[in-house]
Amino acid sequence: MTASPRPMMLAALVLTGGVALVGVRQAAPPYGQFVSSPPVVLIPSLSGEPEYCLTCHEGIEEISSAHPTEVFGCVRCHGGQPLALDAETAHAGLLGGRNPSTFDVVEAGCGGSECHSGPAEDGLDHIHRSRVSLQSTYAGAIAAVRQAFGSQSDRKAHFAAASVTDPEVTTPTGLPSLDALLPIAASEPAQVQAFVTRCLTCHLGSEALDRPGYRRLDGCAACHTVTNWDGTYTGNDPTLARTESGHAATHRLTTSIPFTQCNTCHNRGNYSLVDMTFHQRMDLPPDGTGARSVAYYQPIAQFTACERELDCIDCHPSSEVMGDGDLHSAMSEVRTLECRTCHGTPTESPATRSVTDSADPALRQAQLNPFSTLTLGETVVVTDGGSALWNVRQRPDGSYQLMSKVTGTVFAIPQVAGSSCEQDPQDQTSSACHECHSVQEP
Amino acid sequence: MKRPNFFEHLHPPTIPEPQARFRYTLGLGGLSGFFFLVTTITGALLLFYYSPTSEQANTSVQLIQYHVPFGWVIRGLHFWSAQALVVTAGFHLLRVALTGGFRAGRRFNWLLGLALLVALLGLDFSGYGLRWDASIGWALLVGTNLLRLVPLAGSGLYQWVVGGSQLGEATVLRLYGWHVFGLMLPAFVVAVWHLFRVRRDGGIAHDPALQGEARLPRSALVRREMLAMLVAGGALLVVTSLATPALDGPLDLSVLSTEAHAPWFFLSIQELLRLGNPLWMGVILPLAALALLAFLPYGIDRGSSLGRWLPSDGRLTQVIVLTLAVGLGLLTVRGALR
Repeated sequence: MTASPRPMMLAALVLTGGVALVGVRQAAPPYGQFVSSPPVVLIPSLSGEPEYCLTCHEGIEEISSAHPTEVFGCVRCHGGQPLALDAETAHAGLLGGRNPSTFDVVEAGCGGSECHSGPAEDGLDHIHRSRVSLQSTYAGAIAAVRQAFGSQSDRKAHFAAASVTDPEVTTPTGLPSLDALLPIAASEPAQVQAFVTRCLTCHLGSEALDRPGYRRLDGCAACHTVTNWDGTYTGNDPTLARTESGHAATHRLTTSIPFTQCNTCHNRGNYSLVDMTFHQRMDLPPDGTGARSVAYYQPIAQFTACERELDCIDCHPSSEVMGDGDLHSAMSEVRTLECRTCHGTPTESPATRSVTDSADPALRQAQLNPFSTLTLGETVVVTDGGSALWNVRQRPDGSYQLMSKVTGTVFAIPQVAGSSCEQDPQDQTSSACHECHSVQEP
Repeated sequence: MKRPNFFEHLHPPTIPEPQARFRYTLGLGGLSGFFFLVTTITGALLLFYYSPTSEQANTSVQLIQYHVPFGWVIRGLHFWSAQALVVTAGFHLLRVALTGGFRAGRRFNWLLGLALLVALLGLDFSGYGLRWDASIGWALLVGTNLLRLVPLAGSGLYQWVVGGSQLGEATVLRLYGWHVFGLMLPAFVVAVWHLFRVRRDGGIAHDPALQGEARLPRSALVRREMLAMLVAGGALLVVTSLATPALDGPLDLSVLSTEAHAPWFFLSIQELLRLGNPLWMGVILPLAALALLAFLPYGIDRGSSLGRWLPSDGRLTQVIVLTLAVGLGLLTVRGALR
């Protein structure tokens, strides 16, 4: 009996096919769609451990000059599996998905005593400050709504968007802790319940509304990464879809935060106390373009030239927007800046101090800004609270100037003293100054 | 006279033709042997890179998967041949039961086969644990906790298997010890014994009363085995190329994943556990099923005919094993669909 060679040939073909497929997969690994060379290895000096993330993410922007890629690598902040070469395994254990600054994981992502959970006296307690700030707690709005509907008699904050504790209260208006509003919502009046379900999206810990113009990340990245109108990525990471929302415009952290980033929350509409819903402003330009003065500010209010020309952070320092490290009931409790801070009064010039210490926090903040030219020995303006405004300097000739943190443009600051201004130094409310200084729509 | 060597011992000069047909054996025993061999060889290769410490275990698997030259092929072949082995061994058991292959002096080899199956499941589970990734946490916890429930010996058994009073850093080394030695050595010995017994019991089960029927020469048998190995080997390579065995980030025992999922071969036990008391559902019932299978040729099956599918003198056996198989299958499907 002679066996037919055909079955054996076919079987050998199956094995050959298997071997060929292994060869194909070896020659064209899953990451091959992004790079053709061998896997790209990075050994950041902080960990000394190899990371292969750039194999696929080659071309991604360095997150910031303060976090050089060759020092930090990717895994220190993002977590994940540094050795893996397929997306699913590599991304296992990523901190906060794409955003390690999301508050659930921010301590692991950005924290640590050497990083952003450092000592308050050195100004390195960024995470704590952000988490207890009004932008995170939303405590002011919560207190106002609860007072309006009879749940509390005063405007003091009792509740926050999430429960939060401040172990060290340093200001007279600081509060030791706030409870989360959600767990007690059922016992609140109907309007407050509606507020809880519809209006608690307006804080740093929450995801933004998924609408053009509202798109931002959350946590620290809500402010420190710039998002574009559609929330799409426009950088050079080959793996990221260019059409999908939910991304920062580029993989960059910045302290030069443009007003457009603030506007992803501010100036976009109003929460109505009547029906407890958010009413989107219909007068905003639908494509996100348009002159800022016309397009964005609420048309009912008055503004001075500096409020239209400067970016928000040019005047509102970190101690206001990120808070002073205490839990507060209202923005007014942390506001240290008034018109006279930069413009002086009829009788006094702005308060100033010299930057003489190389460890001066003002100098450190300045160094994080791409436009800053502040050097040791220069004189900067300080607020009533003692915070230095590193971008507001007194020149050797005695004049004052402000440098935009966002564009680097330098503005001369007119002084009240010696002018025809008739202000009452004790009345620094914006309405008092707006009486003379509001500018008309151009 | 030249004594037959081991190869010749496994391959007699001739075997009865009807029982050598694919539609009788389905090639399951032979395929199991092949998959066992592939798993053993690839496992030996993996030993060169795997680090059995809780800190390094997962990292070393990632190293094998992504950076060791052809490491992904070796790991893939190891994984897929191990899964295939559980399947072919399970169906081989079914085939033997449904053809009455454990009758007439072959009862002891049936027990060896069952012991082998138990060892294979232990090997598969310990291998699954050796990934030491976030996705194995719950299954490892639940699976090993079942051992605690065993009356009297539970606590000691648990410590023996796990290497401590709870899952911890010692566990991965203990699993490794079981996987590459504690289970592997007996499995290997029993596997060889199982093969030896087939031949000692007169070759593949057939009806000795039928004399003069067609016989198949050794060369034809070897040829068929070659065919099967080429096809199975090719299939393993294809599957390995197309499907990467799961691999998650390192296991952190203090943060177990919220998704509790047993490996596929224990989904049936997971489903049983959902139905009631863990001691009864997770320990006694599976052991009772095993005991029932072991007891089949000793007290339940009264038939004597050999060499045919579904002999009429083995109806009770057929009902029992098919009921068990269908139950196992349904529970597994139910678990998989969750």
